[in-house]
Amino acid sequence: MFLRLVADSFTRRPRRKILSMAALALGMAVATAALSVSLDIGDRLAQEFRSLGANLLATPQVDSLPLEIGGVDYRPANAGAYLPQADLGKLKTIFWRHNIMAFSPVLDVPVLMNVNRSDAGGSSQRVQLLGTWVNHELKLPDGDTYATGIERTNPWWQLKEGRWFNENASANEPEVLVGEKLAQRLGISPASKLYLFEKPISEAIRPVTVVGILTSGGSEDEVIVAPLSLAQAFANQPGMYRRLYVSALTKPEDAFSRRDPKTMTPAEYDRWYCSPYTSSIALQISEVLKGTDVRVIRRVAEGEGNVLSRVRTLLWLVTFAALLASALAVGASAAASVIERRSEIGLMKALGANSGLVGVLLASEQLLLAIVGGGIGYAVGIVLARAVGERIFGFTPEPKLFVLLVILALAALITLLGSAWPLRRASRYDPAPILRGE
Amino acid sequence: MTNSSMFWRIVRRLLTANYGRLFVILLALGAGAAVTSALLNLQIDAKKRLTSEFRALGANVIVAPRSANSVTDGASGPTLDESLLSQLPAQYEAHPVPAVAFLYVVSDAAKSGDDHFAPVVIAGTEGQGLAAIRPGRRTQYLEAFEHESDACEIGVKAAQQFHVRAGDALQLRNQGREATCKIFAVVSTGGAEDSQIFANLKNAQNLANLPGRISLIQLSVTGTPTAVNSFISSLRQNLPEVDVHGIKQFTEAEGRLYNRISGLLSATVLLVLVLTSLCVMAGMSNVAIERKNDVGLMKAIGASVQRVVHLFRTEAIVLGILGGLVGSALGLLISIWLGKTVFGVAAEPRLIVYPISVALTVITSIASAFPLRRLASVRPASVFRGEE
Repeated sequence: MFLRLVADSFTRRPRRKILSMAALALGMAVATAALSVSLDIGDRLAQEFRSLGANLLATPQVDSLPLEIGGVDYRPANAGAYLPQADLGKLKTIFWRHNIMAFSPVLDVPVLMNVNRSDAGGSSQRVQLLGTWVNHELKLPDGDTYATGIERTNPWWQLKEGRWFNENASANEPEVLVGEKLAQRLGISPASKLYLFEKPISEAIRPVTVVGILTSGGSEDEVIVAPLSLAQAFANQPGMYRRLYVSALTKPEDAFSRRDPKTMTPAEYDRWYCSPYTSSIALQISEVLKGTDVRVIRRVAEGEGNVLSRVRTLLWLVTFAALLASALAVGASAAASVIERRSEIGLMKALGANSGLVGVLLASEQLLLAIVGGGIGYAVGIVLARAVGERIFGFTPEPKLFVLLVILALAALITLLGSAWPLRRASRYDPAPILRGE
Repeated sequence: MTNSSMFWRIVRRLLTANYGRLFVILLALGAGAAVTSALLNLQIDAKKRLTSEFRALGANVIVAPRSANSVTDGASGPTLDESLLSQLPAQYEAHPVPAVAFLYVVSDAAKSGDDHFAPVVIAGTEGQGLAAIRPGRRTQYLEAFEHESDACEIGVKAAQQFHVRAGDALQLRNQGREATCKIFAVVSTGGAEDSQIFANLKNAQNLANLPGRISLIQLSVTGTPTAVNSFISSLRQNLPEVDVHGIKQFTEAEGRLYNRISGLLSATVLLVLVLTSLCVMAGMSNVAIERKNDVGLMKAIGASVQRVVHLFRTEAIVLGILGGLVGSALGLLISIWLGKTVFGVAAEPRLIVYPISVALTVITSIASAFPLRRLASVRPASVFRGEE
């Protein structure tokens, strides 16, 4: 009988139920879309921030002062300390190895250069040679290979002409890139030949081929960018580098991560160590690369942290506002449908139903509505969230079971709350005046 | 319209007949209006604030010499005249533009009373807002020394190297010229600045024997990517003899991120607004459709369909205006508070948002009265018999 009453209410007034359901479904679609966007795209945004480049910098612990101005170190090759490149594979063995997006070792050496002239005399130019990796295949300790390089850590380095150098080109005539300004000044173009040497009177002249013109908007526009091995040969430091840029996916700093790890209790320390904060990743890197000092590049890390945490809060607020508005609208619709059914309630009571039974009957109707409407709303919301994700990030957020459960619970809660107040009033009705139409 | 006083009397009665229903309708409409105005206002404000947040990245524009035919020999390459600094605009789009002139000199330095000289990059600086140009943290700071003429700030790596701390003095030496400087702060940035010494521009110029010259000027321009680009191109026109360019690392990433974030915000807000108003509309229609009895009675005593629809539409407009006025005002207040929680600065209420969200609410309310048209087919007799 109970079920029949519920079923009857749906089949007798399909139009009204459809409208209630539409209100519910739309409200829940807002909630689903907003929730999915805040949950998924927040993480996606962190990846976008890697276009700011490296956020960690590793240098030798014991070193002379780098004479670094705007990204180029002007120290002579014989001053200061070096780090072994053989260790670099270990970076992909740390706890947060999957958060290390890219890294590139750098070694700067001053050299002399002649354009299209193979002897050491004449009007040779003094330039900086910046040795690094481009799309370098690195053997990892676990046997895998991992490709990384400067084009990933510094995504704003772009080619104006030509192509990136190939590190495995012939050893006799390595390939290099030339900075835009240097190239313009000396009339260098791709396919030009350069002759590089260390000292004015030198037998060791190395011919190199220019394969591309690099534009970075920084001091790198004035240098030659070459394979790391070539810089190592000039510095006479085989297998060594001076600076390591690491681009890591991190969690924005908060009050906890700003504390000094030394003052933490063991449990707090574990929590800090196992969270992808920039500072904990820095510590993990310095643990595997012996003798390095790993520093957080503050302007990148903090700029990223500021913006990211603000955007996240903003998205959560929008989500919350959406939830609130849809809850009120759905609640109002639920309340209205109960208010309008006074005469039905009066009739049921006159036939001997007590308020409890009437309440349970109406509540189960609403619950049924909530589950069906919530389910439809969830489906619509997921489709919309995907559309947003795809248009803005070219990436589709995965539907999460968790969101479905939250949405169904929310729909049930809202409809019940919305009908609770009119139901309470209805339970106080005296059937006689209602049935008389008073 | 005949008998308008009767018309309004009926409208009044329609509204006040059932306070429960009136309250429910106003709640739904008001909530929709509040969310509309809060989100619209917050969205405009958030995009503006975001551009300020990006300034935590430091300088994004550089004024440098055109690379002359001279050879860049290590640090001090071609230079500019320092008077250029005063030619830069101090403000852009109501935001101050911090600008600092730098002169880089590689010189030898040692702690006072120590003979172990080592080369270090000295950056002579002059201008407003060094902290905005070069974001970092001061690990030590002695305010008392800051305004002395030979005050200088030292990067944390350089401080380690020379074994100095705030309050110590350094002696500097470059090609026979000597100077001293008194350290008032130690700064940590994580970048190249950690191994530099920041001194007054005058002292660096004397040390380098380049009076009145600077290496470059760094600026931190607040604005959307388009605004920053137009700042750069207008500066290029005003200063044709120098090279003005954005620091690609930051301008490109900022532009990309700004577009993504503002797109995300707009899309989410639009989605929420459309769905919310549809949801309010569905809810309201549900309320409206329950009124067969009223319609039946009106038709029974001789009202035309047109007049009935007109009555309900007027009711919807009144409700929309009421809910819209109250809800939108509430929404603006909420957005001020939200702005404060997210950005620490109260969001500026924009008056344009208010009429827009009231209008949207009225439209939603009218649209939700639309199903009432179907009531034209209501047959009074069957309503009264309770058949439908």
